[in-house]
Amino acid sequence: MRAYIALFRSNMQLTLRDRSVLFFNYLFPFIFFFAFAELFHAGTGAGIAYFVGTVLTMGILGNGLFGAGMRSVQDREANILRRFKVTPISPLPILVAAMVSGWLLYLPVPAVLIAIAHFQYAMPLPHNWISLFVMVTLGVCALRALGLILAAVTNTMQEAMIAIQVLYMMMLFLSGATIPSAILPKWAQTVAEFMPAAYLVSGFQGIFFRDQTILDSGPAVGALVLSIVLGMFLAMQLFRWEKEEKIQPRKKLWVLAVLGPFLAMGCYRAYSKEHIGQNEALFRDLQRSGTFLIRNTRIFVGDGSVIENGSVLVRDGKIDEIFQGAGPDPDRIRAEVVEGAGKTLLPGLVDVHVHLSSPGGISTSTGDYDVKKSIPHSAAALLYSGVIAARSTGDGLDDSRTVRDQIANGSKLGAQLFICGPMFTAEGGHGAEFIQNVPAGVREMVKAQIVRTPKTPEEARRQVRELQAAGVDGIKAILEAGWGAGMLYDRLDLLLVRSVAEEARAQKLPLATHTGDARDVTDAVEVGSTSIEHGSWRDELPDTLLERMVRQGVYLDPTMAVAEAYAQFFAGKADTLNNSLVQQVVLGTVLQGTRDFVTSGKGADAGKAALFRAALERGRSNLLRAWKAGVPLVMGSDSGNPLVFPGPSLHRELQLWVQAGIPAPAALMAATANGAKLLRAQDRFGSIRKGMEADLLLVDGNPLEDISATERISLVVFKGERIRRAGLFEK
Amino acid sequence: MDHPIQVEALRKNYAAFPAVKGIDFEVRAGEVFGLLGPNGAGKTTTVEILEGLRARTGGRVSVLGFDPEAQPSEVKDRVGVCLQSTRLPEKMKVREAMALFSSFYTRTIDSPELLKRLQLWEKRESLYSQLSGGQKQRLALALALLNDPQVLFLDEPSAGLDPQARLEIHELVQDLRREQRTTLLTTHYIEEAEKLCDRVAIIDEGRIIAMGTPREIQERTLATSTIEIECAPPLAADQAPAWAEAEKIVVDASRSRIAVTSRRPARTIVDMVEWMRANGMELVDIHIKRPTLEEAFIELTGKSLRE
Repeated sequence: MRAYIALFRSNMQLTLRDRSVLFFNYLFPFIFFFAFAELFHAGTGAGIAYFVGTVLTMGILGNGLFGAGMRSVQDREANILRRFKVTPISPLPILVAAMVSGWLLYLPVPAVLIAIAHFQYAMPLPHNWISLFVMVTLGVCALRALGLILAAVTNTMQEAMIAIQVLYMMMLFLSGATIPSAILPKWAQTVAEFMPAAYLVSGFQGIFFRDQTILDSGPAVGALVLSIVLGMFLAMQLFRWEKEEKIQPRKKLWVLAVLGPFLAMGCYRAYSKEHIGQNEALFRDLQRSGTFLIRNTRIFVGDGSVIENGSVLVRDGKIDEIFQGAGPDPDRIRAEVVEGAGKTLLPGLVDVHVHLSSPGGISTSTGDYDVKKSIPHSAAALLYSGVIAARSTGDGLDDSRTVRDQIANGSKLGAQLFICGPMFTAEGGHGAEFIQNVPAGVREMVKAQIVRTPKTPEEARRQVRELQAAGVDGIKAILEAGWGAGMLYDRLDLLLVRSVAEEARAQKLPLATHTGDARDVTDAVEVGSTSIEHGSWRDELPDTLLERMVRQGVYLDPTMAVAEAYAQFFAGKADTLNNSLVQQVVLGTVLQGTRDFVTSGKGADAGKAALFRAALERGRSNLLRAWKAGVPLVMGSDSGNPLVFPGPSLHRELQLWVQAGIPAPAALMAATANGAKLLRAQDRFGSIRKGMEADLLLVDGNPLEDISATERISLVVFKGERIRRAGLFEK
Repeated sequence: MDHPIQVEALRKNYAAFPAVKGIDFEVRAGEVFGLLGPNGAGKTTTVEILEGLRARTGGRVSVLGFDPEAQPSEVKDRVGVCLQSTRLPEKMKVREAMALFSSFYTRTIDSPELLKRLQLWEKRESLYSQLSGGQKQRLALALALLNDPQVLFLDEPSAGLDPQARLEIHELVQDLRREQRTTLLTTHYIEEAEKLCDRVAIIDEGRIIAMGTPREIQERTLATSTIEIECAPPLAADQAPAWAEAEKIVVDASRSRIAVTSRRPARTIVDMVEWMRANGMELVDIHIKRPTLEEAFIELTGKSLRE
């Protein structure tokens, strides 16, 4: 024990006297830190945390590879270890003391770095200090073990220098330590998976950014520990006291043994490709961490009030402050500026009724119907159009949930999604009709993804509970008997609807009920639905029903854009396709295929066209009466239906509301604050208030005077990121 | 223990090359024993086997009763070693080096005392890189003595030092000799062996070719001594003496100085003195040049040590 302490003390003394060690350990990372901070404008808040992780990793690389690796080669080559060899000690205390002293000497680096980042750049302090400490410790020890092995398997200073430089450079530039992984090509991101440093970078960023603990990087921690143990063991076995003892070339392969855990992890992750999403997510966090001031703009707050000339400060993904007038000097608060003169800032829009799986038209390419592509595309199109949140009222459970989670964790960019998964309906009811067209082999599988057709109240309740467990955000039920002439459906038994509603309430899930006429609405309200989808397109909603909706606080989502679209579709008209926003977000194959099909007259049906024209009229008058009665209104587009495209269709819906006589502020409230309330997310988005997520839509002109101004999008802000909209459809 | 170091039939091969080809010797308690030989003779290999640094190919070795190969820690803990060409970290202070190495041994002596004795006390706060060659070697010696070793190995203790520093080291070793510490010293400096060693083994190409006190080795070799005398009055022109055992007699021009070579100088001198008295001559001066160890070495090995 005496030898361990003496060696440790000696290492500390020697290291502190060695200028090159001090430089690589302390000064070098800090130079990079300041350079990065200024270069990437990360000097404002959380963005700096990204670089703290980066620079910590760089320091650990230097400490391990040069500090431990080069040092032990030097000691051997300079005949220093030879002197130790004639004393009665084994390599173990030498290796252990080197490990411990290297680790201890590194500890001030994270402390100082975090202090500077906190005080100079306003970085929030990490919460999981213990995880951070463990991660630093494991990182230093693993890299030092690797350094020791490199020292053990190289025969000369030159050899060691080459081996160490190669590994150092590779890890420095490919692991995300200097260049954020997400902007590296995919192959480089895959290569990075084989390097311990990549796990350090993502581990640190996880701890700083997302309040993760080391348990979130379980496999990486395991690999680091294994590397340390293997590295120390092999360093003991391969220890050489003298330069005259040469190592056999094949023993050099032992270095692979230390990297073994990472080779295994790399192979697995290269195979699974999950890392690429993680890199995207971390990079997303960086993008969301900026500070900027949208100033001198009209602000539609979302609570009914309007600030005619104000400014909004966005910081770290949140609305930091709202000012009357131009606001503070942006240089003083380290903020970039978005000039908003002549523009209107709205809360990001909320569409409470979408179907993400279908492209909203007829495509010439069957690939466009692949839900793996169409769901992410729909989510991106929504965000492109300023819709920052959308509720899927009926899509495949697994696929919609996957995309929802990817968007939530930042690995995909799109409107944040709330999903209902499969729809409750009758066997052969509306929503289940097209299942007859699915090949028999996969019919059950498809059905399980998109509908629930309970036969008994017990089954209905169980199915609701199962969906709750599967992670849905709400329940969708269909209560509709149809219109006749090929549009007649079995209506879900009211007893079953009631069971669904009761269980949904018990599970705290909002219930969205699809209705067709006044009887449907009456029943839906009676069982306790949270929102009425479509309302009645066929007959007038009685005043008593509207009063009851007001009393119960039941939302009405009239979805008029879809009624208009069907009227056009059956009339063989494709005017919607000429809309600029539609052309921006809809795939070329879908635009072409839809135009060809609709204008060919193949789908034309004058009877149905008339039916939907009447439905639109009925919907309008019911909407106006509901608004006058004080029914809470939300806005849904029902996009995914023919000519109803996710994104643009919500803007069309706004216009139809205003045409129906709803004042623009009320329509915009329905499309923002009310939608957020229905989704139970009013504390996160839906209005422009201090502390809310910065989910904003900046448009040219004044939609309060001309509702079509909402289509003239100047900027979309999503969780604090100024979305590069053109980039949404890349990849 | 009479013989702290015992070596029997020691052999060491490096791959196919036999570096030590079967040597035997014993070092007695308290003596300074020298291994003398040219570079590559096998001296360092032999010493490193004794120090427990190298495995042997064959033979039996014992240091303080331990087998250095089987019990290296026991041996290393009890012996002091001053190796050729080892260094310490540049930025390590003398005092720190002493403290560090102290921690490796079960028993150590007072290090300030030792530093004072080796004239390093003033230098105790100096960095290793600031020491002169002689000081570095003294520090190496200090480190070797740190555990108060019963056996001391000095491998070329004065190699590469300037004459002054070498002299200092010699004095130190002579000092140690007075302490009755058993010392095994390798050197390729003849003077060093002559001056410092009680006994010497001459080693060449992996074999011991002569062993004994420096004097014994000189005497055992065939080298001749030279006796130079001055006599008065000078030899007469016709006088041509023939003394016992004299091999070659050279008389200079003055005929008063005579140089005589002899393998047995004692007998020759007695005969010379008697002859002069008989001829009424006086011995004014006498000088005997004995053969050196170097000459013995050259004669034994057929090569010079300086090679």
